Amino acid sequence: MNKENDILKWFNGEISTEEIKKRYPEEDFSALEKLGFYAKQFDVPKVDAERALKEFKNRAHKKAEPKVVPLNFKTFLKVAAVLVVLLTSSYFLFFNNTKSFETQMAQTEVLTLPDNSEVILNAQSKLSFNKKEWKKNRTLDLDGEAFFKVTKGETFTVKTEAGNVQVLGTQFNVKERENYFEVMCYEGSVKVTSAKKETILKPGKTFRLVNGNVVEVSDFNAETPSWLAKESSFDNVPLWQVIDELEIQYDISIDASKVDVSKTFSGTFTHTDKNIALQAVTIPLKLSYKINGKQVELYNYASE
Amino acid sequence: MTKSDAKLCEEAYFNEFYLKHVQHASNFAYYKCGDQDNALDLVQDAFSKIWENCAKIDFAKAKTYLFTTVNNLFLNKVKHNKVVMEYAKAAPYIDENNESPEYLLEEEEFKKKLQAAMALLSEAQREVFLMNRIEGKKYREIAELLNVSQKAVEKRMSGALKILRKHIENI
Repeated sequence: MNKENDILKWFNGEISTEEIKKRYPEEDFSALEKLGFYAKQFDVPKVDAERALKEFKNRAHKKAEPKVVPLNFKTFLKVAAVLVVLLTSSYFLFFNNTKSFETQMAQTEVLTLPDNSEVILNAQSKLSFNKKEWKKNRTLDLDGEAFFKVTKGETFTVKTEAGNVQVLGTQFNVKERENYFEVMCYEGSVKVTSAKKETILKPGKTFRLVNGNVVEVSDFNAETPSWLAKESSFDNVPLWQVIDELEIQYDISIDASKVDVSKTFSGTFTHTDKNIALQAVTIPLKLSYKINGKQVELYNYASE
Repeated sequence: MTKSDAKLCEEAYFNEFYLKHVQHASNFAYYKCGDQDNALDLVQDAFSKIWENCAKIDFAKAKTYLFTTVNNLFLNKVKHNKVVMEYAKAAPYIDENNESPEYLLEEEEFKKKLQAAMALLSEAQREVFLMNRIEGKKYREIAELLNVSQKAVEKRMSGALKILRKHIENI
């Protein structure tokens, strides 16, 4: 067995002829040596590689065409659509930290902010703030009217289109309607910054902008805004603003084209009875009104 | 599809591959069938198969694929003829210095015996024996080409040597 292996190694060139003869001196390797040698002399036909290649090229090859699977565009679109829906919904679920509240006509809403500050949102108003940044930055965006009871802490800012209101901890009312901006301070002190003026309000003081102009307002004694008691109070307020408020509170449309809306009104109207409210506003101004469904028309008492 | 697969489908690479291996492949086929024309036909068919399936064949294994295909085609197509190997013209004798007529006669006699004995080998034995002798291939290389184990190659070689030796010494 060993000898056989060594012979194999010899033919594989791993052992030289001398070596194998030395290992097995009694063995006659001449026949193997000779056959190994003469086997090398066998003739193998030489192939003309270039000519063979040319012949090869002349053969007909049925080359298998690679299968082409068309990209299914519809499937692609479906996947894309699902992805878009997933991404956007997850974006709104996880990354949109803006919290907003909105009230409709004739609605109020009581909100508690993350720091336990209280906000009472009057009708037709919108309030939004960033939940995530609330701890660092107590800033609210307000469009409409709201009463704030702010707990003590970092500066609390209410941003409106007409101006910003900054406080530390206090109670105040902000009213921002079309061409009308009013901040009333009920407790502590409030800093109001508008394009025109920067004012610090003490309790009982009011800051009011009508058509962008500062209007002087006498002090008040109330502890909370009247609208919290389902009333709207006015002190030397132009009639058009009172009408706006009536419209908002009762979800009505008032036609005041026949009356002078720049007249000022001082008084209160209730939020609970439309007729009483309209009377409360019209009688002192010597006006009359007609109700036609949601339409209300004001006219001069004397002219009819 | 990897880069190497694509290579074989490129004509330039395929031509290179063809020219490099056509001689060895036709030798291999010749050891099997002992007929030059048949051998070349087998090789051309095998190359054809490679060209047609170029995308599916790994470039690194193309050589083995070639030999395996030649082998399979041979088993399928060619009639198993008695293979008679011819000696090359003007081949040297083992002892080049000895030119005595008796020696030359003796050697010619031996060569004839060997030629006769070659026909007795099986195809598997003959191809291994001749690839080793004529092309000087190591058993490991042969095993790789034929896609069999080195042990199998050694077994075939051993069998071939036994048969050849027995016949030469007996006659």
